[in-house]
Amino acid sequence: MEKSILGYKCTKCAQVHYPNRTLCRKCGHNEFTTLPLPKSGKLLTFTHLYTLPADFEVTSIGLGIVELDGGTRITGQLEIEKPEIGMKVRGDVKMVRNDGYNNYYGMVFYRA
Amino acid sequence: MREVYVAGIGITSFTRLEYPLVEIAAYPAMMALQDSGLKKVDHVFVANMASGRINHQTGLASAVVDNLSLTPAGAETIENGPASGASAIKAGFMAVASGLHDVVLVTGAERLREVNNLDATDAVATLTHPLAEYIYGVTLPSLAGMFTRLYMKKYGVTSRHLAMVAVKNHDNAMLNPFAHIHQKITLEGIIDSPEAMTNNPMVADPIRFFDCCPVSDGAACLILTTKEVAQKSGHPLVRLAGVGQATDTHAVHDREDPTELLAVRGAAAQAFKMAGVKPSDVDVAELHDAFTILEIVESEEVGFFKKGEGHLALERGETRLGGRIPINTSGGLKAKGHPVGATGVGQAHEIVQQLRGEAGKRQVKDAKTGFTCNFGGFGNNVVCLTFVREG
Repeated sequence: MEKSILGYKCTKCAQVHYPNRTLCRKCGHNEFTTLPLPKSGKLLTFTHLYTLPADFEVTSIGLGIVELDGGTRITGQLEIEKPEIGMKVRGDVKMVRNDGYNNYYGMVFYRA
Repeated sequence: MREVYVAGIGITSFTRLEYPLVEIAAYPAMMALQDSGLKKVDHVFVANMASGRINHQTGLASAVVDNLSLTPAGAETIENGPASGASAIKAGFMAVASGLHDVVLVTGAERLREVNNLDATDAVATLTHPLAEYIYGVTLPSLAGMFTRLYMKKYGVTSRHLAMVAVKNHDNAMLNPFAHIHQKITLEGIIDSPEAMTNNPMVADPIRFFDCCPVSDGAACLILTTKEVAQKSGHPLVRLAGVGQATDTHAVHDREDPTELLAVRGAAAQAFKMAGVKPSDVDVAELHDAFTILEIVESEEVGFFKKGEGHLALERGETRLGGRIPINTSGGLKAKGHPVGATGVGQAHEIVQQLRGEAGKRQVKDAKTGFTCNFGGFGNNVVCLTFVREG
């Protein structure tokens, strides 16, 4: 099955949160349903980071904030040669970190 | 509410310190006790962020109060990330203002250089959202990089403006014997020449090496008390006149407009209101320049300059020593250094020195009103303080 990142939709006001919250930021309600977040969106900002925590085996990574279709925002890694603010991107859920004990999965974005 | 005054101050050099963390915390406390003429205190607050993780020591306040032979005074460790220092001062303010205690010692201390830079960066990165940011390799410099890129696009801030902050703060640190970095730098050396790209490599595009503060060890201390007790210290009377604090979303991507630092705006407004002063009354300020962009943006959010015009005031020299509102006369986090949990107390130490007229070659003439902004996380928890000299 294709992996997805889950958003948390308030059952009262329908606001979608990512990451999850105990109380809704918009209306204060405490019940949510999960839904797979869309994978395409627009790049809001980005950086290329050259000083990584010791458990990364690469020397640098791209990072960015993406506004997904529907408006939910997410931070993820970028595999894009020359990123630009506002460009269309599409994401995939991949392993983004291994700290020696666990594999962590998250969004990696590519040029759409 | 009782009025709260500063009776004594102390500080270590911000640098790499080869002493146990407890002794680092205790040294400026000893100096502050001497400075105040006091022998006993009612309570001790110790500000620290990472002792459990980095130094394998928890319950730091219990160790510090005993090392200082101040038992049985009460003692607590305050952890609020990089804003731990100002948070501990705020706790001390509440204790004295409420009448719970008469004399409170606040010492902030950090020893991050016990580990290498990558591990220290990772320890600080644990401030980020564990699932939505940290797992991707997001660090504080990377959040600053993404923030800087947006700010450049929206307001026309350039890499040269960022370098101007670094040059100014390195210049100020040359006048501060306790500063971590005593290195004169020039725009030519870090931005305006072909060699500059080698001298000043990229850390988190568009942020370069000289846009980032160093990782420092260090400690600073303030003794807070009532007017009656402070008057006996013999120093010019400095009142902690305003405290303010505000929070913002944990994950930076959750902010409606990520170029706004709403927690800075909110905390500053409270600290000014309580003190009954306006941003334009401030004679000297210490702002949390962990990254050069933050000095520019905080100078706008606290109300010294209009939004989007901080870099223009910097260009005009308004924030230099001798300018209209000198910012980071100590050298700031950029060059004085950033011993994370101690930083907010270090900022307050500089302001008290300035208001007492004890700042030596970096003295702002006749400074009466001072202000600090201590910035936790990437702007998710901010504490601002206003100090006023009386008489």
